[in-house]
Amino acid sequence: MIKLNPKLSQKFAVAFLFCATIVAIIPVVIIIFIIIKNGYSAISLEFLTAMPTNGMRSGGIFPAIVGTLSIVFCAILITLPIGVCAAIYLNEYAKDTLLTRLIKLAIVNLAGIPSVVYGLFGLGIFVMFLGFGVSIIAGALTLSIMELPVIITTARGALNSVPPAFREASLALGVSRWQTIRHIVLPNALPGILTGAILSIARISGETAPILFTAAAFYLPHIPRSPFDQVMALPYHLYIISTQIPNMPKNIIFATALVLLMMVLSMSLIAIIARIYFRKRRKW
Amino acid sequence: MRKIKDDIIEKIIFFCGILSIVFVVLIFGFLIKEGISFFKEFGIVDFIIGKFWYPSANPPEFGILSLIVGSVLVTVGACIIAVPVGIMAAVYISELAPKQIKDILKSLVELMAAVPSVVIGFVGMVSLAPLVRVFFNIPTGLTAFTGSIMLAFMAMPTIVTISEDAIRSVPWQYKEGAFALGATKWQTIRRIVLKAAMPGIIAAIMLGIGRVIGETMAVMMITGNAAHIPHSIFEPVRTMTATIAAEMGETVTGGLHYRALFAIALVLFFITFLVNFIADLFLGRSKNK
Amino acid sequence: MKTNLYQNKMLIDDLSCFFSNKCVLENVSLSIIKNEILTIIGPSNSGKTSFLRTLNRMNDFNSDFSRKGNVFLDEENIFHMNMEKLRMRVGMLFAMPIPLPMTVYENVIYAPKRLGVIKHGKKSEMDAIVEQALRDASLWDEVKDRLDSSAMKMSGGQQQRLCIARILAINPEVILFDEPCSGLDPISTAKVEETMIALKKRYTIVLVTNNVKQASRVGDRTAFFLMGRLIEIGGTAKLFVSPKEQKTNDYITGRFG
Repeated sequence: MIKLNPKLSQKFAVAFLFCATIVAIIPVVIIIFIIIKNGYSAISLEFLTAMPTNGMRSGGIFPAIVGTLSIVFCAILITLPIGVCAAIYLNEYAKDTLLTRLIKLAIVNLAGIPSVVYGLFGLGIFVMFLGFGVSIIAGALTLSIMELPVIITTARGALNSVPPAFREASLALGVSRWQTIRHIVLPNALPGILTGAILSIARISGETAPILFTAAAFYLPHIPRSPFDQVMALPYHLYIISTQIPNMPKNIIFATALVLLMMVLSMSLIAIIARIYFRKRRKW
Repeated sequence: MRKIKDDIIEKIIFFCGILSIVFVVLIFGFLIKEGISFFKEFGIVDFIIGKFWYPSANPPEFGILSLIVGSVLVTVGACIIAVPVGIMAAVYISELAPKQIKDILKSLVELMAAVPSVVIGFVGMVSLAPLVRVFFNIPTGLTAFTGSIMLAFMAMPTIVTISEDAIRSVPWQYKEGAFALGATKWQTIRRIVLKAAMPGIIAAIMLGIGRVIGETMAVMMITGNAAHIPHSIFEPVRTMTATIAAEMGETVTGGLHYRALFAIALVLFFITFLVNFIADLFLGRSKNK
Repeated sequence: MKTNLYQNKMLIDDLSCFFSNKCVLENVSLSIIKNEILTIIGPSNSGKTSFLRTLNRMNDFNSDFSRKGNVFLDEENIFHMNMEKLRMRVGMLFAMPIPLPMTVYENVIYAPKRLGVIKHGKKSEMDAIVEQALRDASLWDEVKDRLDSSAMKMSGGQQQRLCIARILAINPEVILFDEPCSGLDPISTAKVEETMIALKKRYTIVLVTNNVKQASRVGDRTAFFLMGRLIEIGGTAKLFVSPKEQKTNDYITGRFG
């Protein structure tokens, strides 16, 4: 092997690593570009607010948007309080016991279970066993269990970033543990928890596999009336029109993908901006 | 009064704390219950090493070997692309990138994680698959190869972010020691930094693998879904996850086919549990240092 | 003997403390007399802070902590008391000023509100508590015009006196000071010391300090701790002029520590 001059090999290495970074970044740019380029022409107010017509080949995607929003809204409503409480338990109460280690192992495990397995579980327990049927509530419960480990982890991080001295100061005044958490720890961890929640909303808006058998309907041109209704959902709708419908106009598929992508990306963006804003305003 | 209220709230908090365990046990219990009742009718050995997946034939065949091969092939393919690229990108972002663009690069990598898998599947189907078909002159572009590429993109954010974390947390004294001996930046990274960050990088790779194995929608849309053992990566394959997603809708609840899909989910559960457990071990090790 | 018992605010009886089975305090017995300032001096790792934190059970949150022996507050065993009740009666000031991330006013009223001392919505009652506490902590004149600004923006010395005011607002019986001036400049230190001396008319004070001179300035009695043991306790003047133990003499004359 030829021994390269170290300076020269450093230059090569840096250039090479830079190329790798570009390779890691470029796909997402291309994907977003392709979708915007092909999809924006079909976007209109009508597309966003009308019912689909002609076997979904024309018209709008309104029920799918409403469906996704209602599932996601219900899911976050369920998972956020549970996740935050679990994070409080782990961060504020739990000692290093076997139980605590088991909980942590369970969280790692929950985070790794494939989304389609959650879908099966949701089908088995919520749709069949508890008899909710294919419905918003069954889909939301499935998604909320799936998102639980993410919420717990981000909420724990937020709680952990509150300096321990604040807790000590409050406890030393005779204020009880829960009151300390409620009035000192939680208000200061709230920005972090909320940012995590927004990111979670973005993530579950795009999930398809868990709602495949628990909430999503193939075609249902009306707005849901109760949590026990089936709904159309944006990601599932995209899957259907891009694989199952013959002679589907391409620009409608791209436009649907664009709406889904923008929904998810704008929420992620809000979360990122919120995080920067709160970090600057932090009082300690 | 106050005391009672506090006590009740603390009980609720404790209950939420152990709920994670309850869910894992519940999911596992559910899968095992359906899985075992399936194995009673259809042997576990025939299930794992059977080559044929003909759920609606008479008598039906439930051999998942071809599905396992499909999953493994796509995963290995994705890793071959994503692991080296991801680690190199992580090194560049954490050690070499100018300060001003560091955060931009990081956010761009993370942006990929935000794109829904069904969108990635769709783009792969309409833009990458035709390219693959023409370029390699094969009958269909929906192949294991195409799937590997798209999945590599999806695993990239996981691998880059976690490796970057590990590399960044290497104590600066290590680097300083090497610089003091006259090593160049690149020599230091190669010999010192990468070695010290290795547990974290391995964890990153494991988590990336976990993400790929569990991926459903994108693979279902771009790997072609043919349940046979492929001869090369330029043939369509079908993964375990795609099988569940594609066939669940057609099954009779409680039927043999229905339970067979739960048995596949059980296999997936074990695999991802193992992968994530290993990742967690390495992650713990890299944090303790 | 009987009268002496009556004067005792706190009585520490053969107290030993351990962190993960490592002994940090060994068989300490002493009494704290009502309305005195008892200063505790000693080098680092002498167990003086562990001792102080045991007196209002702040160590109980550490799962590695264990102890033997007893502590009595007005003849009541503190380890049998409700922890929150105990801390209302025995307040603690930490080495670094820890204002809570809220306004000056909210800081002072925080504990009375949370402990249910005041009824909801009684603004006048709250104002009175805040003013009295800030006056007693000699801070009122400096902050009366900016009660609604963030406590995090005050100077270190002001923050430390705010923390004192926060304790005074719940009207404790004993106040524990854990090296309260270690992060402060001499002028701020002098102000805190003045405040302490003024407070001893109404409160019993235990002061842990690394600063031997501070102990001689404010202490009525002084205890010297070394390696987890109580070496000597006595009237401050006497202990500084003619200590009984050689080790005490070595420490206060600056031979180690």
